[in-house]
Amino acid sequence: MSRRPPRGEYIETDTGNKVARKATLVGTQNIMLGGKTVIQPEVMIRGDLIRSIQSSSSSSSSATPNNTAVAIGRYCFLSRASCLRPPGRLYKGAFTYMPLRIGDHVFVGPSSVIQAASIGNHVHIGARVVVGEFAIIKDYVRVLDETVIPPNMVIPSFSIVAGQPARVIGEVPEGGHEAFELRELYKTVGNNPPPAAA
Amino acid sequence: MAPLNPYTYIQCPCSDSASLGRPTDLTSPTSADGDEDNTFDPRAPRANFSLYPLEYLLYCEDCHQIRCPRCIAEEIATYYCPSCLFEVPSSNLKSEGNRCTRSCFQCPICIGPLSVTSIETPPPSSTLLSPDHAATPHSTYSLICSYCNWSSTEIGIQFDKPNGIHAQLAKLRNGGASRLTAKERKERRKELSHRGGEAAVAAAAAVAANESSGGQDVDLETQFANLKLFCNSQLADPSAADNGFSSLGDLGFSSPSSLSRIMNLYTGGKLHDPRAKSKLGAMREALAADEGLLESNLNESSLITRLHQSDFLDTASSTQICSQPPNLGEPHLHGASRFNSSLRPVPYLLRTKRSKRCPVCRHIISKPEAKVQTTRFRIRLVAGSYIPSISIRRLNLPGPNGPAAPAILGDLLDPLKPVHFLLTFKNPIFESLKVTLGAPATTPGRFPSKVTVLCPQFDIDANTDVWDEALKDNDRESSSRSRRRAGTESQFQVEVGKIWERGRNWVSIVVEVVPASLKLEAGQDVLKEDEDVLEIPMFVRIEWEVENGGDDATSGPGRDKDQKEKRELAYWCVLGLGRIKQG
Repeated sequence: MSRRPPRGEYIETDTGNKVARKATLVGTQNIMLGGKTVIQPEVMIRGDLIRSIQSSSSSSSSATPNNTAVAIGRYCFLSRASCLRPPGRLYKGAFTYMPLRIGDHVFVGPSSVIQAASIGNHVHIGARVVVGEFAIIKDYVRVLDETVIPPNMVIPSFSIVAGQPARVIGEVPEGGHEAFELRELYKTVGNNPPPAAA
Repeated sequence: MAPLNPYTYIQCPCSDSASLGRPTDLTSPTSADGDEDNTFDPRAPRANFSLYPLEYLLYCEDCHQIRCPRCIAEEIATYYCPSCLFEVPSSNLKSEGNRCTRSCFQCPICIGPLSVTSIETPPPSSTLLSPDHAATPHSTYSLICSYCNWSSTEIGIQFDKPNGIHAQLAKLRNGGASRLTAKERKERRKELSHRGGEAAVAAAAAVAANESSGGQDVDLETQFANLKLFCNSQLADPSAADNGFSSLGDLGFSSPSSLSRIMNLYTGGKLHDPRAKSKLGAMREALAADEGLLESNLNESSLITRLHQSDFLDTASSTQICSQPPNLGEPHLHGASRFNSSLRPVPYLLRTKRSKRCPVCRHIISKPEAKVQTTRFRIRLVAGSYIPSISIRRLNLPGPNGPAAPAILGDLLDPLKPVHFLLTFKNPIFESLKVTLGAPATTPGRFPSKVTVLCPQFDIDANTDVWDEALKDNDRESSSRSRRRAGTESQFQVEVGKIWERGRNWVSIVVEVVPASLKLEAGQDVLKEDEDVLEIPMFVRIEWEVENGGDDATSGPGRDKDQKEKRELAYWCVLGLGRIKQG
């Protein structure tokens, strides 16, 4: 920790994304980052798992197929060794992947695996969490550590979720909304982060 | 032992502080005069119910008081299904109950969500071999849990359509047999009554018929319908059915005279009222299955042998049984088994969006938007935007013997060694705050730790606009840091009465604690749960001035507009600092 790598640990993009050099991003052309997103080392994003069957509506409207596999909003934080993987299933007799959409201010804890269909805004996912395929997580949801969210589960807004399989164990109180903001966390990482307030 | 993150809990004033004293304090004189002097004890059994993290507290702007989840009045704004997120109108709620009536089900085994999946049906049977059916293979659907692989086919339930599962399931009994409809039930009754002319004969025939068909054919709904029909007919024509059931008739379980008899008992009348006696026997008990009589199946040997043969894991837990919705199509309780194999899919319980009112002035202090998908609030008066937040950090000062080791949160505290904690108060309001702290010199409980608040009185500057903060961000950061550095770098020392550090709208102060030794003396009980946690009760009093707004009811007409009104708020809070090292 004391020895800083010479080139800087992170690549900082024009839109403010901080992507660790040691992160594994596969199929980068299919990964959309909204900006101000932190991707820590050892994170894996599977952008290569694109939709192999275009839905009829999109193929007819546009000539170039929309190949986005993973779409991430602003101020997201992907902790070390987490994995984002688009969900896949049989669709009209053939196997296809579907895009994984993540909103703004989403925190993904270390060693978590995300295969959700969509994750809303202001979501906190703890460490070692497994989010099953095609799960839908709405806004202001807190997923505690080591939760296993079964496939196809829908988690409504303002839920606190824990357990294997996940169940809603509580409600996010009214005063707890601000705790989901990740602006301050974004500032603390980077190549030359300001020293933590002493 | 699990590490303990420092925490701050705030006591809601709704709980009576006078009654929160320790049980051992009962000898102390009346608490009426000593309300202010009584130290709040976070370990009192009742304290658990009045302490909340700041996020859970609301604030009533009219009463100028903190409100906790326990003292607010809730009103349900919207009911919705947590799975399909569809709103359920309250009229549906009355008729359909508090569960989702669409296709949202939970696995009865693991509570995971169930999804509708089509089953590959084996080649159609002989009836479907006709040419017009051969083209379209008939597919059925089942509910499958993708977490534990439970399938509704395990209880013999399949569906014809992939939608409207709730309605389809309501008609199906376990094993796939369909539930009797009211019409079918009526027809069956008619059939039975045709067999015998007289009621008694019909009853006997019904018993015989039931016995031949296994006796378990009567489900709850049918039994109730039969019993109701029977009672109605009895009430309508009491003289018709007279038989030798006088022994039970004496007790008058179901006779219309029972009410008058009971009334007689309680009004001091004679037990055997002659008038009542004349009417006794007017009604008789149900005698047969078609009259609603259900014989208890006391022979449970088959169930017991099945229990012997099965695993413990095959039996349903009480939570699994409790989560089962009432199923009218099932046999009576005597027939119900406690095996996993009889559990049915559980429709999702509805969830609500609720608005919250102050219990005193009835003003709404939290009101979400009614639409299910929106997360906005129309009104949201949270305590966090009115009272200062307190964050705790351990402060390690370089001692005389070299530099300090970096403080790790959750570290155990060494007993009898002074430690310093940094409390940072952050002012959320746009006025400057005057804060006065009070803490007992020793913590209450069996192991008193010594507490010294080094700076019990200080001012916090007002909060400023979010935009100011954003614009001045870098500027402010450097200035505030330098402000502290200049003062403290030369002498890293804790000074009594001095603020440790101050920022734009926050102030840090130091609290010195000497943790108690947890050594048990002879005759003392063993350490109770969490008794090693160092908790400090602290009384916080904040004062601020507000400009008298015209809309404020308290401002009289004669008052000057410029005059500032003084407000104050005082409450107890508990600071959990860490665990004390044992032994």
